[in-house]
Amino acid sequence: MGAFDPRIFRLDASGCNGCDVELVEMTALVPLAKLGVSLVDQPADANVLVVTGGANFKSRPELEAAYKALQAPKIVVAVGSCAATMGIFKGGYAMAGPPDAALSVNLYIQGCPPGPQAIFRALAHAFELPTAGLEHLLEVPAAHRGHPQVDQAKCIGCAACVNVCPAQAITLEDRTGEREIRFTHQDCIFCATCQDVCPSQAISLDTQVAPWFGAKDASQSISRQPLAQCLACGGAYAPSEQVRWSVKKIAETIAMDANVQAQFERSIALCPACRRSSLSEARHAKAILTWVTREASRRPANGGVESKRSGR
Amino acid sequence: MSGTGTATGKPQDGVIVYDPRLCTGCRYCELACSVWHTGRIEIGKSRLRILFSESGPDRFAAVNCQHCDDPLCAAVCPSETIRKDAATGWVLLHAATCIGCEMCVLACPLAVPYFDQALKVAAKCDFCYGDPECVKHCSSGALRIVPKSEALTMNEAQYLSAKE
Repeated sequence: MGAFDPRIFRLDASGCNGCDVELVEMTALVPLAKLGVSLVDQPADANVLVVTGGANFKSRPELEAAYKALQAPKIVVAVGSCAATMGIFKGGYAMAGPPDAALSVNLYIQGCPPGPQAIFRALAHAFELPTAGLEHLLEVPAAHRGHPQVDQAKCIGCAACVNVCPAQAITLEDRTGEREIRFTHQDCIFCATCQDVCPSQAISLDTQVAPWFGAKDASQSISRQPLAQCLACGGAYAPSEQVRWSVKKIAETIAMDANVQAQFERSIALCPACRRSSLSEARHAKAILTWVTREASRRPANGGVESKRSGR
Repeated sequence: MSGTGTATGKPQDGVIVYDPRLCTGCRYCELACSVWHTGRIEIGKSRLRILFSESGPDRFAAVNCQHCDDPLCAAVCPSETIRKDAATGWVLLHAATCIGCEMCVLACPLAVPYFDQALKVAAKCDFCYGDPECVKHCSSGALRIVPKSEALTMNEAQYLSAKE
C-alpha cells in the first residue's frame, strides 16, 4: 500500500470513550500529517473508517451509513476490544454488534484500551508508514501496565484471579483431574487486580505495548494444575498445590502436636462437602479446633495470633 | 433464649456451644440464620448446619463456627479478610476484601466457610454481630451462649476426653 494515502474518519459506535481518548493521544503523539495520514470529519471524504465501540441499536445504523459513504477501498479498522467482540458490553441489552456483524473489518487493534503506541504501531504496519526516526515515540511509558504473565512454578491454582477479574478475561475450566486457567488477551483491561490478589505472587504484569494481532476470540492457557481427590468421595475438590500451600501457611502460624497435625492433614484431604455432611467428620473437626483453642488459651494474653500474622 | 448474649453480660466472653443430646433436629436455627443473613429462607446459605443420622451412637452434630482462638481460616487467608476481632473474639469475614481464593473453605476442618458462587466471595458465621439468631430460635437449648472458659471445658469433655 505504498502509494496509498489514508484519510481517516473516526466513528464512536457506543464504547466507553477509552479508545477514543487513546486515539486522540496517538494523534498528539505522532506527526500523522508528515507521514501522509490525514484525519477528515466526513465519511464521504474518507477511505479509512476507524471504529471504536461495540455498536448498539442506535449507533449501528450510523456505522452502516458511514461505511456506505466511505470511498474505495473502504478499509475498516476496529480499535479496542468492544469493536472486536463488544468487550465489557457483551450481553448488554442495547447491543447490536460487534461492528463486523454489520460490515467487514480489515484490521483489529485489540486491547481495552490499546495504548497510543499500540494503535500507531498497528496502523504503521498496516499502511506501511515510514516510521524511521520515530522509534522514541514508541517507548514504553513509565508505570505502563501490560498483560498478566503467570509463573507456573509459583501458581497454586486457587482461582482468586478468576474470581476477581472484573472483565472476566481470566477463566477456569475444571476437567478430570486437572484445572486449567485461561486468559483472553483482548478482554483484559490492564487493571492489575489479579496481580494484587495472587496469594502466591505468581502473576506480574508485563510492560509490553505491542498490538495484539491474534484471532479476536482466542484465549490461551496460563496455568494447569492437577486436582486433589477427596479421600472419602473421590471427587476432585481443589488443586493439590493449593492444599499443600494451605497446610504450609497454617504451620507457619499455628503450632500443632504430631497427632493433631496428622488429624488436620487428614481433614484437609477430604473435600469440604464431605467434611460438612458427615457426623463423624464434624466430631473429628471439633476435636481439632477444641485442641487448638485450648492451646491458645494456655498462652499468655496478647501473645496470640495477631502478633504472629505476617503482612503481605 | 437469652437475647443479651452471655451469662456475664459481656459479649466478649460469650461463645456458642452445641449440645447434641438436647438437639431435636428441627433445623429452625438454619432457617433463622439464612433469613437474617440473606433475607430469605434459603437453608443452603445458612452459616451453620445440623446433621443427623437414624442410627449409630451420634444422632446429631452441628457444623457451626467455633470462633477459635487461633482461627485456621484467618491463618490461611492471604488477604487478611478473615480476622479475629480483638474486642469481641468473633472471627469475622469482610466480604468487600475477599479475593475468592477459597483457602478458608479448604483450611477449616469443619468447612464452616462456604463459597458463594454468585457473589464470588466466601461467607461464614458472624455471630449476628452480638445476638445470634440460631441461639435465639433454639427451643430445646441445644445451642447456647456460655462464657468462653465454660465452653472450652464443655468442648474438651465432649470432643477431647475420648482420645486423651
